[in-house]
Amino acid sequence: MVQEAQVAAAGVSGADLVQVAKFLAAGLCMGIGSLGPGIGIGNVVAHALDSTARQPEMRAPLFSTMIIGCAFVETTAIYALLVSIILLFVAK
Amino acid sequence: MGAEWGKIIDFNWTLVINLLQFAVLLVLLRWLLWKPAIKYIDKRRELIASRMAAAKTSEEKAGELVVEREAELVTAKKESVAILEEARERAEKSFEDAKQRAKEEADRILADARVQMEHERDRVLADLKAQYAEMVVLGTERVLSREVRVEDHRRLLDQLLAEIDEAALDGVKEKR
Amino acid sequence: MREQLGRLLERLGQKEVATWHIGGFAIQVDPKTIVMSGIASILVLILALFLRRALRQPIEEKPNRTQGALDIAMDLLDSQLLGNFSSPGFGARMLPFIGTLFLYILASNWLSLLPGLEAPTADPNVTLGLALMVLVMSHYYLVRTKGLRGLGKEYFSPWWLSPIKILSEVVARPLSHGFRLFGNVFAEMVLVTIFLAKLEPFVVPIGLRAIFGIGFGLIQAFVFTILTVAYINLAIEKH
Repeated sequence: MVQEAQVAAAGVSGADLVQVAKFLAAGLCMGIGSLGPGIGIGNVVAHALDSTARQPEMRAPLFSTMIIGCAFVETTAIYALLVSIILLFVAK
Repeated sequence: MGAEWGKIIDFNWTLVINLLQFAVLLVLLRWLLWKPAIKYIDKRRELIASRMAAAKTSEEKAGELVVEREAELVTAKKESVAILEEARERAEKSFEDAKQRAKEEADRILADARVQMEHERDRVLADLKAQYAEMVVLGTERVLSREVRVEDHRRLLDQLLAEIDEAALDGVKEKR
Repeated sequence: MREQLGRLLERLGQKEVATWHIGGFAIQVDPKTIVMSGIASILVLILALFLRRALRQPIEEKPNRTQGALDIAMDLLDSQLLGNFSSPGFGARMLPFIGTLFLYILASNWLSLLPGLEAPTADPNVTLGLALMVLVMSHYYLVRTKGLRGLGKEYFSPWWLSPIKILSEVVARPLSHGFRLFGNVFAEMVLVTIFLAKLEPFVVPIGLRAIFGIGFGLIQAFVFTILTVAYINLAIEKH
């Protein structure tokens, strides 16, 4: 078992380590980066729903504003996605 | 033209070409779709506005009609009440009339009946008198049951007269 | 099918790039994206021709089914997108641009539903190009409504904030605007490709595409368009 691991470790090169780091970083970036926007979008939609329940006649303008707000909140997740894509597909 | 593989987020002239293509699409659509669409929206809006105006006027007319109808209804109600009152009066009057007439009739019939009754009684009394006389004669004949001769007759008559006189005198004496 | 999917999976994150030589000037393009974008445009044009025929019909007392649907679509366009402009006249003037943008992006997103075709919006060139166009347009309208003085005021009003403002409004805004659409469409494509390649016997390709494609495509097209409206409206708004 230990021997096998040593053999495997001997076969690992620097490029492999970089590859591992890239995948790990991409996954972490996406995962951590979407935490905040997830909470934020939840807040936005919850308050939009609250307001709609209180004033159903304001539904149409609230919906548009909610979508715009969601998009702004989403921006950080988009940056995280961009970084992940660069890490996965572009970075050498 | 050589094809090779590039990274997914490589930027190249596709950006510009695509923008030009979008501009062409925009111009084409503006001519093909949006001009008729704007015209259509305007027409539709006009139609809706005219229809709204028509609906408003018809609504007003309907309101006026309602007021008119209500007034008519009130007058009709008054009329009906008056008619009912009149009918009731007439009915009462005719009832009274009928009652009066019936009473008169009954009185008349009663009077008639009384008169007739009196007539009948008189007639019966007359009949009875006649029958009494006959029966007296018959009874007398039967009691006597023989022919009365003239001498006898005269004697008898005299005797009778005397008796009557005596009876009358006695009767007077007795009465006194 | 399986081979094609395998190739796709192997080439995930890569795209074909062609180099055109025009008079000693080499320009690199993505031929597939250009073709797909053309197909999307042609679909939009066909839809426009169909709608034009419906729009040209005389307006009857009772609208028929096509006109009813058109009315609903126009109402939605007016209330959800153009209604966000602060002045209704400007909204009516922006109808062709906003409507075309929405229809083009919608057709592009839904193109991936058809077998063998790909969404051109899965190429960042397309989405970032559109975002840059929106950036330029918003500044054009800013200058037109408030003048160059307004433009200067926008960016240098408190001078020490200008680097952040320029960074956020000129760099970050089109970047997030364009990459939002690209990221969503591309991620959906990657997801569907992986699903199909790994779980091919268990999922129906068209069904999976439809489930992911229709709602996602509509929402992303709507988000991109409404953000365009919001950015242009921010530029023309009077404080």
